[in-house]
Order: sequence, then C-alpha cells, then structure tokens
Amino acid sequence: MRILLIMALSLLGCSGQIDEPVSYFKVETPRPFGYVNGDEIPQHIVIETRSGISLQPGSLPVKGQINRWLNLNQVTVKQSGQRYEIDFLYQVFYAPLEVKSLTLPGFTVQLSQGEKSIGQNVPAWTFTLSPLRELMVRQSEQGEYMRPDSPPPLLTDTQALYGLAASLSVAVLIAVYLGYLYGCYPNMLRRTVFKRALRKLAGLSKADMEQALTVVHHALNSLNGQPLFLNRLGEFYRRNPQYLQINAQLLWFFNYSNRYFFSDGMIVVAQDLQQLKNLCEQCRKIERGSR
Amino acid sequence: MIRTIRHIMLWAALAAGLAAFVYSAAMLYGIHKDNDLIRQLISGKDVVVNKVISGKPELRLARAFYFKQKHRYDETLSTLSLIMDKGDRNFQAKVRYNLGNLYLEQAIQQAKAMNINEAMPLAGLAKQAYRQSLALNSGDWDAKYNLEVAMRLLPEMDRVDMPDDEPKNQKSQLWTTVPGFPRGLP
Repeated sequence: MRILLIMALSLLGCSGQIDEPVSYFKVETPRPFGYVNGDEIPQHIVIETRSGISLQPGSLPVKGQINRWLNLNQVTVKQSGQRYEIDFLYQVFYAPLEVKSLTLPGFTVQLSQGEKSIGQNVPAWTFTLSPLRELMVRQSEQGEYMRPDSPPPLLTDTQALYGLAASLSVAVLIAVYLGYLYGCYPNMLRRTVFKRALRKLAGLSKADMEQALTVVHHALNSLNGQPLFLNRLGEFYRRNPQYLQINAQLLWFFNYSNRYFFSDGMIVVAQDLQQLKNLCEQCRKIERGSR
Repeated sequence: MIRTIRHIMLWAALAAGLAAFVYSAAMLYGIHKDNDLIRQLISGKDVVVNKVISGKPELRLARAFYFKQKHRYDETLSTLSLIMDKGDRNFQAKVRYNLGNLYLEQAIQQAKAMNINEAMPLAGLAKQAYRQSLALNSGDWDAKYNLEVAMRLLPEMDRVDMPDDEPKNQKSQLWTTVPGFPRGLP
C-alpha cells in the first residue's frame, strides 16, 4: 500500500506541465518560396516562459553577416511580462542559376533561471530562391545587359510651397484684421449694422425695452452717420431711399420711443418688442439687398 | 495701454509673416533653379561647377550621372564619393546603386577585354555597393538585377569569394612562424 502511494505521488510529480520552462513557443515565417536575390525575410519568434525564467539576449544571433550569402539586418526584442517577441530581418544575397533551396540557420535561445541555463532550439528554416536572369543572357549594345543608372531625383518643393502658403495666409489675415481695427472698411461695417443689432435684440425680453430701443437707435444712427431723429427722417430717406418702403414702421418706432422715454406710465407689452424685432428684420433685409 | 500692446504685437506678427513669406519665396525660387540645373545635366549638358559645389547633394548626383553618360568614370567616382553619406535612406541607396553601376560597367568592359585581374576587384566593389544599396532599400529591383549580373559576371569569382578566410590564415601562419631576432647570448 505504501509503495503504491509513493508510486502515485511520484507519477503526479512527473506529469504536470507547470514545470516546463517554456509554456509557449512559436516561430512565424512568411511563405517559403518566391524569393529573389536581395530580398528581406522577416522571422517572428514568440516565447512565453514560466515566471522566474528570463531570456538571455546574448544568445540571440548578432546583427551583421551570418554567412557568405545571408545578412541579419535587424534584431528587435520586445518583452511584456514573461512573453518575449523577437523579430529578425534577414537579407539574402545569392544569385542562383535555377530555383535553389536555401536554409536560414537554426540557433538555440538560452533561458536562465538563477544560475541554471535552459536552451530552447529555434529550428532551421528552408526556403527557395529564384534567379532574376535567364541562363542564356541577352546582350545589349555594350555587351552584357544591365539595368541603367537611377536618374537623379528632382528637389521637392512641397515644403517650400506649404511655407509660402502658410506665411502668406497668416500675413493676409493679420493685415485684414489690422485694417478692420483701423476702420478701413466703413462700407462693410455699414452693411452689417442691423445684423449686429438683431443679434443683440435676440437676447432681450420686454423688461429690457430701454436697452432694445437704444440698440435700434444706435443702429439707425450708425447707418445715418449722425444721430437720427423723427424730424430728420426726410433727409435720411434722401440719402437712403430704399428705407422709404418701411416708413410707417420707422414712424411707429420714433413715436413709440418718444412716448417710452418722455411719457410717464407707459406699459410695455410683448407685442411691442416683437414689432421692434420685425422692424429690425425689415431693415436687415434692406441692408442685404434682398428687399 | 492693452490696445497699444495688441497693435504692436499685431504689427510684429505681420512683419514676421511677411519675412517668412519672402524667405519661402526665395527658397522656392532656389529649388526651381536647382531643378533646372538637374534637368540640364540629365539632358547631357554640363553646368558651371560653382553652382554644383555650393548646391544640394541631388545636384552632385546629377553631375555624377552626367559624367557617367560621358564615360568620365574617375570624375563620376570622385563626385559620388562626396555624397555617400548625404540625404535620406532612399537617396543614399540611389547613390550606392549608381556607384555599383559605375564599377560594374568598368568590370564588364575589362572582362570583355580579357583583363580578368582588373575586372575581378571592380566586380567585387560593384557587388559591395549593390549590397549596401539593397540593405538601405530592399525594394529596388534594378539593384537586385544588377547585383545578379555582378555575381554571375565571372564564374570563378564565387569560388574566390567562398574560401575567403584561407589567404588570411596562410598569411597569419606565415607571420607567426617567423622567428624573432636573436637577443644575443647570455
């Protein structure tokens, strides 16, 4: 009975996969055919180890010439926890006469756990290389056919063009803004008088009637170039005949304003504000030329 | 006060913008002039040397291209060697490819004239230049093709390349067996 128990325990001890130093190992390579002289071949290796085991980067192949026809151009090792991703970029320089089978040499990756060292074998990988030239080589006028020189590239002007466009736009924008600040566009400002007035009116209620009336007065004054009163409307129409079509509304406005500012006991109703807004909208339409 | 500062700053920004505009315009003009020179060289007409010396590496490459067209190999080599490390990876690959072509063309000529001893080192240099070019830009089909031409140019060259270490070993053995000078009797 005791012997059976010992045997069972020892079997349990042997069977577990937990003790394996490498829990996951995979070598990924592209297609094993269709390469030509000078091609690059990537190789991706994934190794996952048990905790406490680390990869020895010194055991990896070193960048440089591996053999007469094979170069290792790049070695990248990425570590995330116990997972190692190793990328190799090989380059083949071989001129075969016919499709030829070649082999990327295998190597052993060393993993260490304390003072102990474990080896993980990366197998060799065989692929085929094809020739670029036919066996019976064609002859050009000079003899052997070869590809011509690479023509010198023209200088790119994209960056200079971008710089030119950007600096010009910035300069023009600043110049326009400075012009605006120095009042160089009176006509343009005059054409947006009621637009600005409407924007101000939109936020006002009937309780702000005083402010609303001031806004419209201000707009009419700026359009006129001087303060506009009821008795000077004729002169205003002579200069701006298009406003004659809303004469009735303008008369209402001046009368209402007079009553509001100079009579006592004036009760403001919401309809008055609406009428004021309507007047402003009519003026805006005339200003834009759509009426 | 704030308004004055704002105005001063706006004027300064306007001046900076205009200065940048003038600078970019001058740069663009320079690029167009250089491109005209490059086109002229490609079409087989020489340009004033001073313009090339003070110009960009692309201009020197164009001049090397011109020399090569005229079979002035020594001048091509000296011009190319000046710009080996200039420019980006693609440009460097181009320079090395053209250098490889320079060596290969001469190697072919020497091989045709049966001057095998001259042809072999030239083909070796061509291979080296193509390899470097392909390491910088592995997608260059012309470099791949010409490397194969260089590798197949002289069939015995591969045999020379393969046991590369042997002559070195012989040499080192020879040196180590040479006895030192006698230091005289005690």
